[in-house]
Parts: sequence; structure tokens; C-alpha cells
Amino acid sequence: MSFGSPYFTLPDFTYHKPKTLREALELLEKYGDEAKILAGGVGLIAFMKERLVSPSHVIDIKGIPELKKLEYRKGEGLVIGATVTFSELESYQVIREKYRALYQAVKLASDSIIRNRATLVGNICEAIPWVDGPPPLIAYGAEVEIKSLDKVRRVPVAEFIKGPVEIDLEPGEIVTSIHIPDVPSGARSGFVKFNVGSEFALVNLAAYLSLNKEKKDVRLVYGAISPKPVRALEAEKILSSEGDMRTLIISAAVKASEELEVISDVLASEDFRRHLIKILTMNLLTELVEGG
Amino acid sequence: MVRKISLTVNGYRKTVEVKDNELLIDVLRDKLKIKGVKAACWRGECGLCTVLLNGEPVKSCLVLAVEVDGSEIVTVEGLSRDGELTPIQKAFIEHGALQCGFCTPAFVLASHQLLLENPNPTEEEIKEKLSGILCRCGTYYEIIEAIKSASKFYQKK
Repeated sequence: MSFGSPYFTLPDFTYHKPKTLREALELLEKYGDEAKILAGGVGLIAFMKERLVSPSHVIDIKGIPELKKLEYRKGEGLVIGATVTFSELESYQVIREKYRALYQAVKLASDSIIRNRATLVGNICEAIPWVDGPPPLIAYGAEVEIKSLDKVRRVPVAEFIKGPVEIDLEPGEIVTSIHIPDVPSGARSGFVKFNVGSEFALVNLAAYLSLNKEKKDVRLVYGAISPKPVRALEAEKILSSEGDMRTLIISAAVKASEELEVISDVLASEDFRRHLIKILTMNLLTELVEGG
Repeated sequence: MVRKISLTVNGYRKTVEVKDNELLIDVLRDKLKIKGVKAACWRGECGLCTVLLNGEPVKSCLVLAVEVDGSEIVTVEGLSRDGELTPIQKAFIEHGALQCGFCTPAFVLASHQLLLENPNPTEEEIKEKLSGILCRCGTYYEIIEAIKSASKFYQKK
């Protein structure tokens, strides 16, 4: 994550291109933490140039058919395989219509040429605090599916990302897909970010609102303000309570800007980030509640 | 490890020996002598090393050469036909859509592909599709004008 000059060449490694998931898992089992998975490469290759990682074995998973899966089923939700690129997500109609927060995050992530290679699974596995993939996934309550030779497990994205470049993944394991629950009709979601001069967010925010009379379900997830994405639980409670929605939105935005732990760094001070949280929250929620 | 890969570059079949850790940008520039692929930032930010990989713009400094075995690559050298420039190249010249010219191959290539896919793009669409390429001379206005004016030639096809 440093921003020094990169090396022009990559460290030495052996490249593998397995044709099946089993073959990939066997390679991972064999090489353990000396192996790294390659999908889009926009993270791994850049990190290797910076010598942040120097794996002896690089396992390219783009030849594995089952990881290309991108499928929506009513009632079950959306499955996004490990090699599905941002560009593929962008042109998938269901995401544009039903998963607005994810769609908007995908459209705002990096640039369109990088999106032709970058994958959403790669984006969350990098676990860089200021990227755009995780907040919407956490807002939808998405889970990652992780496989190794002897087991399969599922972990919520919110727990999978443990901190900066730290994820819940053991040597020998691979994230095969992301599972996003179906969105009930009437639910709304959206994503906004604030960035200057670089595509990296100073603050980004995904909101999910399902305001049925019987059960109100609200999630506000903020990225780039702390080591990992966080939910503003108090602000969510305010939005779930009874009252005039405009007043609730203002109270919630103020609450969110106060209740969270916020970092201060070279890109933005803590105060400025708190200000952004308030403004972005107000704008996004107003748009979601008032917009069509 | 050294291995042989086969790829089609600008319509020609090529077989090259590459090391596992070699980047596509280096193989194109140094082994195949295709210098229209420019090297500048080396980390996927400036977009000057953009090539079309199976018809999709990608930044070749973030792609391993071994990954493109069996693929089709097009660089700016592969655009003209029988010595005649493509409409987008002519439009860049007419509009003076360059100053130093270092970013031009990438812009020409990416806008050519954009117009093939979407022959009538809005200004917003042009900006979005090209936002991954930087022009340090700041010729963006002319580039966008060139693309708009070339679009009529792509609509005819």
C-alpha cells in the first residue's frame, strides 16, 4: 500500500493455470502461504511490483469454469464467482435494477479499463480500507463462500474483512464466490463516495432501506473512515423509528457523523471526514426516500 | 520458468518465449518491438500501455505475458488498413487532439474500441470510458471533440 516508485519487474515465481477448482485447491494445499491467487491481477501484480508480496507460486484461476458464475435466482439472490469482473457486473441487468448500491459502487470503482480486469472478489480479498466493493456487500448482508480441499464455509463479508489487508482466509483456502441475499420488493439501496484527484474514497457509504410497516430494516455502511468498513448502528436505529422521514434523516446523519470512530490521515482530517459523513448520509438518504 | 506462448498481435500469429514473471507490456515492447505501447507509470494508473486484449481495453503493465497465451492483441499499430488511417486517427489529427503525443496511442485505441461498441456515445460516456487514461498536456477537450466528430464514420458500418 505504499506509494513509492514501483519496481519495473516482478519477483520470480512459477505460474500455474489450473483447469479445475480441485486442481487449484491441490496447488494451494501443496504450496501453502508461498502461493497467491491471480484473478484480474490489478491488485496482485501491483503489490508484487511494490514488493509488498513476493509469492513463489502464482495460481491463475481464470481457467476454472465454475468461478465465472454470475447468477440471480428469485428468493435466493445473487451469486458472483471469483473471476467475475467489475465490467461484467456493470452490464448485468439484475444488478442495475435490484442491487443499486452495488451497481453504483461498481460504476465508481477505479476506471473503466481497470474494471475490465478487476474482480469484486479480488477487491474484497485485498481488504484495502478505501475501496468501493465492501460497503454495499455488507449493506446487503452478503457472505463469501470459502473452499479448501476438505471443507466449505461461509462467512459474512463484514467479518471476512478483519482489518487493512487482513482477511479471514487460511493457507489452502480460496474464496470461490460472493452470495448476496435477494432484495425484497420495495427495498431501496444506494452508494455514494467522496474522492478528490484519485479514485480512492475519503469516505464512501452504502445504504440499504427496507421500510415496511411491520419491519424496518436499515443499514448504513461506511468505508475509508476506519481500518475496516463499519455500520452506524445508532443512526440506523433513528431511521427505523417512527416520525417524519426528513427529520429522521437529518438526525441520523448527525448521529452517524458523531458515533463512529474516524481516522485522520494525510488525505483528510478526522473533522473533515465527519463532515463528509454527515453530508453524504443526508444526500444519499434523501435521494433514496424521495427519488422514484 | 521459461515457456512458449502463442498469440495474435495485430493480425499476425506470434510465438514468443517468455518468463513466468514477465509483463505483457515488456514482451510487446522489447521482444515484439511494438513501441506504440507506451510505458509510463508501470502500475495501472496512467493507462498509456493500454492494448486491446480479445477486444477489451486493458492496461498491459498489469497483465502477465503468460496470461495471454492464445489471445488476440491489438495495438495502435494494428488499426490502419492498407496504409489508410482509421477515422478516429484522422479525427485526432484534424482536431489537434494531442500535444506531446505520448498518450495518443492509448487514447486512439480506446476510443476506436468505444466507437465500435457504441457509435454514438454521449460526452459522459466518452469521459467514463476514457477516464483510465491520463493526458498530462491536458488535451482532453480536443480528444473528446475528435471522438464526437469521428463517431459518424462508425455509425455507417
